[in-house]
Amino acid sequence: MFFHIYLERNMQLHPRHFGPHLRDKLIAKLIQDVEGTCSGRHGFVVAVTAVETIGQGLIRDGTGFVTFPVKYQCVVFRPFKGEILESVVTMVNKMGFFAEAGPVQIFVSNHLIPDDMVFQSGDVPSYETSDGSVRIQKDSEVRLKIVGTRVDATEIFCIGTIKDDFLGLIGDPGGAT
Amino acid sequence: MSIEPFRRLVRIVARAFYDEEIPAKGPNRSKSDKSDNRGIAVVILDALTRRQWVKEDDLAKVLRLHPKQLRRTLRVLEEEMLVIREHRRETVKGAKLYNAAIAAVSEDHPGGREGEEKLKVHTHSYCCIDYAQVYDIVRYRIHRAKKKIKDQLEDRNTIQEYICPNSSCGRRYSALDALRLVNPFDENFHCENCNAELVAESDKLAAVELGDGDGEDNARRRRHEKLKELLEKMDKQLQPLTVQLSRVKDLTPPDFGTLAQWEKRAIAAGRMSSNGEAIVDLPKASHGQGLTGTPMPFLGETKVEVALAGGDVKREEGKDEAAGGPTKVLPPWMIRQGMSLTAEQRGEAKLEMKSEDSAALAGPTAPLDVKPTEEDNEAMQKKIQEEYLKAYYAALLQRQQEAAQMAASAANGNMSTPGDSTVGDGTSEALAAQEMKMDGAEDEEEVEWEDATATGAMIGEDNGGGSGEFEDEDEIDWEEG
Repeated sequence: MFFHIYLERNMQLHPRHFGPHLRDKLIAKLIQDVEGTCSGRHGFVVAVTAVETIGQGLIRDGTGFVTFPVKYQCVVFRPFKGEILESVVTMVNKMGFFAEAGPVQIFVSNHLIPDDMVFQSGDVPSYETSDGSVRIQKDSEVRLKIVGTRVDATEIFCIGTIKDDFLGLIGDPGGAT
Repeated sequence: MSIEPFRRLVRIVARAFYDEEIPAKGPNRSKSDKSDNRGIAVVILDALTRRQWVKEDDLAKVLRLHPKQLRRTLRVLEEEMLVIREHRRETVKGAKLYNAAIAAVSEDHPGGREGEEKLKVHTHSYCCIDYAQVYDIVRYRIHRAKKKIKDQLEDRNTIQEYICPNSSCGRRYSALDALRLVNPFDENFHCENCNAELVAESDKLAAVELGDGDGEDNARRRRHEKLKELLEKMDKQLQPLTVQLSRVKDLTPPDFGTLAQWEKRAIAAGRMSSNGEAIVDLPKASHGQGLTGTPMPFLGETKVEVALAGGDVKREEGKDEAAGGPTKVLPPWMIRQGMSLTAEQRGEAKLEMKSEDSAALAGPTAPLDVKPTEEDNEAMQKKIQEEYLKAYYAALLQRQQEAAQMAASAANGNMSTPGDSTVGDGTSEALAAQEMKMDGAEDEEEVEWEDATATGAMIGEDNGGGSGEFEDEDEIDWEEG
């Protein structure tokens, strides 16, 4: 799920950036530092949308670096149990398959894949139904439901299922369907 | 009076879930292993359905259980949220308050217990069934059980586990570790420790079950079947319970409040009746009790107005009865000749109720399953039965003599009619009949309890069958005599 929230961060800026573009530099550094990171609490930071306030800088003794408390607004993505996501398959093995939905990695184990789909090893490992009408392989698009999440301090990993109504393949690798 | 369905509910619950030995939790596990407490919970719960708040020592005496044994079981039941307990340190006066309440409820021998009081300050425990909570707890319990099986059945929301097949390692991983486990070369899961290829847990089970590894699908199907069977079985076996739950659904559960509230209300109800002699000095008693730090029912907490229907029913009932006090069926062995009792108290007219009741239960009932029981239980039961029959016959005989004209209608074998009109004399008969129906049900349960105690009857093969037989016997004998 996406959220638009306020976050705060203390930015350290090298003295060489001090000058007329200090603010721009600070924002550029913030975006570079923050976007794409993941915190267990808020999820993945997708984009910084606005910088709210930049507080007074504090010069660090001995280094000359200046610390600015920055309050900014950003879009975060946090997966939840029970959430439905659309994802792209990245790897298929006999234990199940891995998929990505944006920054988050999801594993679907083979007992959460419908019983009529069987693993086919070979050149391109895949799960397919006996009549071959549905085939999940690398780069397939799959709609899945999250059944478990593991949230570490800097990492979020999910387990998904496609064993439910309206879940499963939604597009082939080539976009043929 | 909406209490009867709830009583039945508790009885069914007792037989469904507490028929077996109750596993004791906590440190005294080893102790309980020694003693055989099978079915004790059923007996206790049954006994509690016939009481409101009761002192545990008294209960132990009545059930002829060791107080420790009783307390242990009650603690379990309390943990299971079926029973509420209250402990308080009290002097003789505090005990008097309780006795007065008891006297007001049971409406016999006012103050007759005074001799039993102990003179020391003691911590007394009281217990009571919390019907509202029982209803919720049971529903929750069934819901959880069903959900668990269903989830397993559909493999839903289960997180796969993986085991290292290496016997020296044997580490377990969950699917949440999948990212770390996957090996970049062969894209399979490898143990972090010994680098062996992991196997999914159910696969391993399948291999164990079938002797070799090829039957994963088979194993899954078999597991499915097993679960489905389990679910069906559960549905079937709990059917009487669910029926009773749905019957109870729209009724307001009887609420006795806390011990202090109950005492207060019981005494008030007792005083409303004209014969409040024994209770007059109670406010004083409560003051005395206040000094010991226990709640003062007549002072602070009186402001709390509980507008539950259960309370109202109780009040109304108190008004209804000219004799005063909530009607309480006297235990049959207490009935002696010459006691001026209403039919309700005698628990007359039970036959009428029984037939109706057993009809309602007809579906799920099965013949009573007689189990071997403890000797002393049986002896006690026999004794009670004998006493009961004696008193019953005496009362019936007397009644017969009184009302000779009833003999004609009695010949029909319809017991309830004579009792009905004898007592109803003058009052609206329909009303009386209705009341009796309720109280008859109460009494019927009492009878049922007596043999259930011994046999430890299981759920389903419940009240209707057992008590029916008992009653039939009764009837025939009476006609002969």
